[in-house]
Amino acid sequence: MSAILTIAEAARRITARQLSPVELAKTHLDRIRRLDPQLNAFLLVTEERALADARAAEARQMSGGLRGRLDGIPIAHKDIYSTAGIRTTAHSKLLEHNVPTRDAHTVKKWADAGTVMLGKLATHEFAFGGPSFDLPWPPARNPWNRDRFTAGSSSGTGAAVAAGLILGGTGSDTGGSIRGPAALCGIAGIKPTYGLSSRAGILPLAFSLDHAGPMAWTAEDCGLLLQGMAGPDPEDPASVDRPVPDFTAELGKGVKGLRIGVVRHFFERDHRASDATRAGIDAALEFFRKEGAEVRDITLSPAADYHAVGYLLMVTEAFALHGPWMRERFMDYGELFRDRVSLAATVSGPDMIQATRRRRLLCREMAAAMENLDVIVSASQPGEAPRIDSVPKWANMEKPSFTMPFNVTGFPAISICTGFGEGGLPVAMQLAGKPFTEPTLLRAAHAYETAMPWRARRPAMAG
Amino acid sequence: MSPPPIDEAELSAILARAGLTLTPEQVKAILPGAAIFRDMIARVNAPLPREAEPALTFDVEQG
Repeated sequence: MSAILTIAEAARRITARQLSPVELAKTHLDRIRRLDPQLNAFLLVTEERALADARAAEARQMSGGLRGRLDGIPIAHKDIYSTAGIRTTAHSKLLEHNVPTRDAHTVKKWADAGTVMLGKLATHEFAFGGPSFDLPWPPARNPWNRDRFTAGSSSGTGAAVAAGLILGGTGSDTGGSIRGPAALCGIAGIKPTYGLSSRAGILPLAFSLDHAGPMAWTAEDCGLLLQGMAGPDPEDPASVDRPVPDFTAELGKGVKGLRIGVVRHFFERDHRASDATRAGIDAALEFFRKEGAEVRDITLSPAADYHAVGYLLMVTEAFALHGPWMRERFMDYGELFRDRVSLAATVSGPDMIQATRRRRLLCREMAAAMENLDVIVSASQPGEAPRIDSVPKWANMEKPSFTMPFNVTGFPAISICTGFGEGGLPVAMQLAGKPFTEPTLLRAAHAYETAMPWRARRPAMAG
Repeated sequence: MSPPPIDEAELSAILARAGLTLTPEQVKAILPGAAIFRDMIARVNAPLPREAEPALTFDVEQG
């Protein structure tokens, strides 16, 4: 069993007064000091703030006034989440000295829940351009092998969670930026239903595709973090006003009776995933069957259809935001961001409308396919992490993404580890559900995780 | 049907029309991506039912 605690276990010990939030924060600050120089997961460590947060949590612990299961838990934020009085850069020269005056809605919610903020985490530039070596800070490295890519854009969060520098952190997901790093770093990451968690105060990439969500070692921890993050926010026009469920309520119920669809053509034909990735998914499906779930293949439009719609909307919305800066300060952006977003100049008005029309059809198609299903399964990434220095500039366009379909539709999706490939690096699967069915998704993910040995294995460097 | 290929001069003109006045080297760096992206745009423009409404429709009660 790994010595690094999960959030669930740390919360249990803090509640039982067996663990001091101050000692826990100091342990993680020490891990950051020792390990982060090899990982570049942090852009900024906020030690004073962390210790102040931890002391406040400890005072509540001793007075019997803990605020819940996130009180005293060490976390950090992707550096596109605004933090009042604390530099928020989007990993870009353009915002190198940006200090917001307000917290993002979700940052405030986690702070109000008693979390201990350790700092700000690396991202791809403005959550899109990476891995880049021409920015003011280097890209995050994968703790399983420092020569390998973390995926992006929540790269620092993926690396920091896997190496045990933090117990959980924020990510954002416009085309797969939570689930990609979760997959390649061997952790869990959930992109909630569009509108479930507020985007207010998070530097946008593409308004209609951006989602805020948590990343952690386990699905259960993602549920705990999502509990502290979800809920209506009048400052986010996409925010939905509906009661927030208990995201961990269904954990432990197993998968018996769940109806699971497999979008096999996504990872076998549309974009063939590695042998280890496909074997991991097949083993997981076998597990689900044995535990009493009903499993059957389903067919959707080709992954490339979803990818084309999502990618066109993403770069066009991004250019609408960044155009003014790009016209004035083109070379202040990193090459990957500026060259990828420049493609939006080739999109016409009718192209954009056709993309939104097709988007509605794809949403309907997925909703119809899921009518008699609880969960759909596909790959999360095509395989193990590639070398960080050999990721082609256009890699995210050349083959369709497995994650983008759920940004296009806004349906919730989680990536969890399904073992290790030939190179000893993690592989993963993606579980998706109908809108606002996160408790069921987490239930299925938790059932799988607790039955498998993968959560007991950390990167060697994590100790 | 595949879309016609895009060349450097055409891409440079399109970028300039969007306010991005780039050097030939900068345009050249974007060109391979523009070729892939053109296929994506063609895919998005495949025939749709006439009645297909956009996913983002006008809401009279804007929040």
